[in-house]
Amino acid sequence: MNIRKCAMLSALVMGSVLGFCVPAMAEDVTISVWSHDNDRPASSLVADYNKLDTGIKIEYREVPFDDLVSEALRAYSTGQAPDIIAIDNPEHALFASRGAFLDLTDMIAKSTIIEPKNYFPGPLASTMWEGRQYGVPKATNTIALYYNKDMFKAKGLDPDKPPRTWAELVDAARKLTDPAANVYGIAFSAKASEEGTFQFLPWAQMAGASYENINTDGAVKALDTWKTLLDEGLASRDTLTRSQWDSTGTFNSGNAAMAISGPWELDRMVAEAKFDWGVALLPVPEEGAERSSSMGDYNWAIFSSTAHPEEAFKVLEFFVSQDDRMFSDFGLLPARADIDIGETGQPLKDAALHVFLEQLKYAKPRGPHPEWPKISKAIQDAIQAALTGRMSSREALDEAAKKIKAVLG
Amino acid sequence: MKGRWSSIVDGKGFDIALVALPLTFLLTLSGLPLIYNVLMSLQQVDLFSLGTFWRPFVGFKNYSELFAQQETWPILANTAIFVAASIVGQFLIGFGLALMFSTNFPGASWLRGLFLVSWVMPGLVVGAIWSWILSGDFGVLNFLLRESGLINGNIFWRSDPNYSLLAVIIANIWLGISFNMILLSVGLSAIPADLYEAAELDGANAWQRFWTITLPMMRSSIGAVIALGIILTLQQFDLFAAITSGGPNDSSNVAQYWAWELSFRQYDFAKGATISVIMIVFVMLAAFVYVRSTRHEIRG
Repeated sequence: MNIRKCAMLSALVMGSVLGFCVPAMAEDVTISVWSHDNDRPASSLVADYNKLDTGIKIEYREVPFDDLVSEALRAYSTGQAPDIIAIDNPEHALFASRGAFLDLTDMIAKSTIIEPKNYFPGPLASTMWEGRQYGVPKATNTIALYYNKDMFKAKGLDPDKPPRTWAELVDAARKLTDPAANVYGIAFSAKASEEGTFQFLPWAQMAGASYENINTDGAVKALDTWKTLLDEGLASRDTLTRSQWDSTGTFNSGNAAMAISGPWELDRMVAEAKFDWGVALLPVPEEGAERSSSMGDYNWAIFSSTAHPEEAFKVLEFFVSQDDRMFSDFGLLPARADIDIGETGQPLKDAALHVFLEQLKYAKPRGPHPEWPKISKAIQDAIQAALTGRMSSREALDEAAKKIKAVLG
Repeated sequence: MKGRWSSIVDGKGFDIALVALPLTFLLTLSGLPLIYNVLMSLQQVDLFSLGTFWRPFVGFKNYSELFAQQETWPILANTAIFVAASIVGQFLIGFGLALMFSTNFPGASWLRGLFLVSWVMPGLVVGAIWSWILSGDFGVLNFLLRESGLINGNIFWRSDPNYSLLAVIIANIWLGISFNMILLSVGLSAIPADLYEAAELDGANAWQRFWTITLPMMRSSIGAVIALGIILTLQQFDLFAAITSGGPNDSSNVAQYWAWELSFRQYDFAKGATISVIMIVFVMLAAFVYVRSTRHEIRG
């Protein structure tokens, strides 16, 4: 074959390829999706969707966690918002309350794929604003109590009876703390960031308080319990500045006998922890008290400025239809009660997951309130003021209640 | 026409062009944001009005609200302590090292180069390493202090309100030593050696030579180093983010970190801008000292 023939042939091939492509491209609607994901599902789901060739093409952008909200705000206020975003659940209301997110209530009512009744109440509540639904939970998580069964045995505690009440927890922590062996009774995080609120609020809620009403006797008792853990040296002083991830790291290395954290720890723990461990529901103030836990992870939402609401909703429906892969493929808990996440083949992990799924039933959203960051800051300030001894728990929470009242108006 | 062209090539026009280029650059990339920042501190900035320019004007309301907050004065005091302690530490150690290296012992230039490593490392990496060193339970610093018998129990550098600011200061001094050392070394090497020789012949001892030759000759270098040091210390953000996050209970919070917290954690952009404006005043003062001392350098 000489060069000229070859060139003509390739021109012909190119031409026919282009010929097929052009009409298809003309119909394609492009939907942009922003998310903070790392190895989590969005990028994979987008790639899978684009392979389906539905006439809708998704453009995906990974946004760093620290920039997600400010980028989204800037984009929205300059008219360049994406069609779909995955937003951290306590910040959902900020956008929904200002009409930045599309009201999906009617579309969801007609949808055969998205059924609100399948969702855990906590994650679902975080997508709501004034009775209307402005998004769909992407995944969810919560916190519970990890404990080192070997240490329980060594200190004469029953490894099958983890602490169920606060008093039992403090008692167990006292028995498990062993300064000579560099072991603290418990590890958690009281950091002055959203993590601190995330860890403390469930304690306050179990004792009957809420963010609107944070200075109740129950909340004071909760904060006093935390203070006991720190003042008696049952938890490290670094609890005040350490993240949940770093705190649980000390549990994995055998320097803490219990830890309060979420299911995101499971894979690392399976790999690192050289001891027998288990997970228990968060202890309650006293036997029979109301359970509660916090609730994390993201929600999907559609910006109200989108030019293609129907197509964007179809994309959301696709994401939701893949929820059953959420755990097996991406290691996240789907926010739905109707999905059986199956067995992983790791007995410790499977047992832990069942506890987390049980705990999720009691998970409550932070807010929803459009000024959540300010409310959360007031709670963080109270935790830190009380734990550093600058104020009593009562004074600190009164102060927080005053600040929160100013925000709520 | 020809005259104008030649003026641009080698006359007054050339000078003007040379000045205009960086000036335009400065005005668009530093001047405008500065003015915008001042403007924002006088406005009511709402999350959703971020993209607009004309927002409700509120006068000095942001300022009065800011100073009514109970954490404001402690945080400003922390900032002053942080800057003063960092500068004193960095300068004294940096100057000492520069003097040591100026004696040109074998391998001096080598070692001096190695010191730059701390300056090359990104702030967040330095912060992460120091936050391990300063960690309460397993930190290297506590281990050393304990083994040497200086302390009995662990000091929680990052989490004890009495130590948290000191923890960041220690890390910041370490970070700034090499910068001080290098700039002061340059100043030292610019002092003519014959001055010292003459003084030695006249019988001046090392101490007298330091006070009467080194220090006076270094005046402009010292002024520049300290002024730049103040500016860089006021910019120090990474160490706070990595070591204490300003905590616990704001005990190690400083203006620059607080401004970021207000703007990007609580989305109170107006207050964040207000703190930045207050900081600008102090940076300007430092910049003024810097310009004065380098001008002196040119004349001398």
